[in-house]
Amino acid sequence: MTDQEKIAMLEETWELDEGTLTADTVLADVDEYDSMAKLSLIVLMDDEFGVKLTGDVIKGFETVADILKLMENA
Amino acid sequence: MFTEINNVKVIGMAAAVSPEWDSISDLSDEDEATVQRFIKKTGVSGRYSASPRQTTADFCFAAAEKLLEEKQIDKKEIGVLVFVTQTGDYRLPASACVLQYRLGLPKECICFDVNLGCSGFVYGLNVLASLLSNTAVKYGLLLAGDSSAREFSTRRKQREGHSGNWLFGDSGTATLMEKTEGGRLQFLSQTDGSGYKAIISPYGSWRNPDSPDGRTHYVVMDDIAVFNFATAEAPKQLNDFMAKTGTTPDDYDCLVLHQANLMIMKRVAKKSEFPEEKMLVSMDRFGNTSSSSIPISLVDKYGETEDDRTVKALCCGFGVGLSWATCALEIAAADILPLVHTDAYYKDGYNLDDQV
Repeated sequence: MTDQEKIAMLEETWELDEGTLTADTVLADVDEYDSMAKLSLIVLMDDEFGVKLTGDVIKGFETVADILKLMENA
Repeated sequence: MFTEINNVKVIGMAAAVSPEWDSISDLSDEDEATVQRFIKKTGVSGRYSASPRQTTADFCFAAAEKLLEEKQIDKKEIGVLVFVTQTGDYRLPASACVLQYRLGLPKECICFDVNLGCSGFVYGLNVLASLLSNTAVKYGLLLAGDSSAREFSTRRKQREGHSGNWLFGDSGTATLMEKTEGGRLQFLSQTDGSGYKAIISPYGSWRNPDSPDGRTHYVVMDDIAVFNFATAEAPKQLNDFMAKTGTTPDDYDCLVLHQANLMIMKRVAKKSEFPEEKMLVSMDRFGNTSSSSIPISLVDKYGETEDDRTVKALCCGFGVGLSWATCALEIAAADILPLVHTDAYYKDGYNLDDQV
């Protein structure tokens, strides 16, 4: 799966317009990245990548690239 | 712990909320897109909240009065009253004692509070069933509810991790149990106190009488920890329960989960292999009602039903503690009463205004 496809999955999960996110996007700048979005991310990572996210791991995410890295390792 | 208690039966259920329903849009000062996203993700479009002086005990009182009147129960035969709440009227005495007086129950009736939330309805049923099965008492009353809307009313923004602001609703329920030949209740209950910080109201009690900012009645919740706990442990327990009792989702008319949030509920149903259409959803209109959520969902679904079918429900509550519990219960649909609406409060309740 390409980074672009993974980013598209994140955009779909968070109901963002296509092209809103890039690997460099800082999550703190995304208005929609709230507590519900984090729960959606947990579901996505578990269902699609078999990764169980904890609060500490999520707190460590600064940019979209940090999430992409975890998807790669899955 | 797995327990099976014979010769007890749930013979009535009622729930009470205020007459006023507020939509999330009305409650919120966030922009409409944020509100719509919240509604879509949590499934909550509004909630009932208590009138200014109304408490959980007032809702439970109204539900119990209606239930005892409809079932024409002789109050002298009620020997146990268990009140499950985290929003009791006073720090002491136990609100159950006050409710015994208000309801006119006999002095022989044992009354106490149980401090549990989302798992509390199932725990309360377990305690009540155990007491009934070991005594000569004919009827027991379980009152369960919370008025959590007030505790979560601090309006901190969702992105700070406090999506609970609009999630919680106020209510109270009453469930009547009878000691009778042939009844049976099964329970599977667990606790993991190591997660006690995941949902906590740390101030205003004896360890921290005061708080850093002077407000003492709010709840702090670690959304992610709670989500991970609920979506892992609740389905595991449901599956264990079905394995122990030799049942499958086909054996139940409905799955009644604690109405935590719709994302959690859907995952729990999926992981326990329940078809989503069997899962009752009431939180869209009631919010998360803590220990009320299971009985209120049954009232919402069957309260207006008048036929003579029996409802077989698999119920699972999970949350604060951390504590989680599952039970299978059968109840005649006709014994589940329509929703009660009331804004009445206990005027003799040591209200501050009356002390001046």
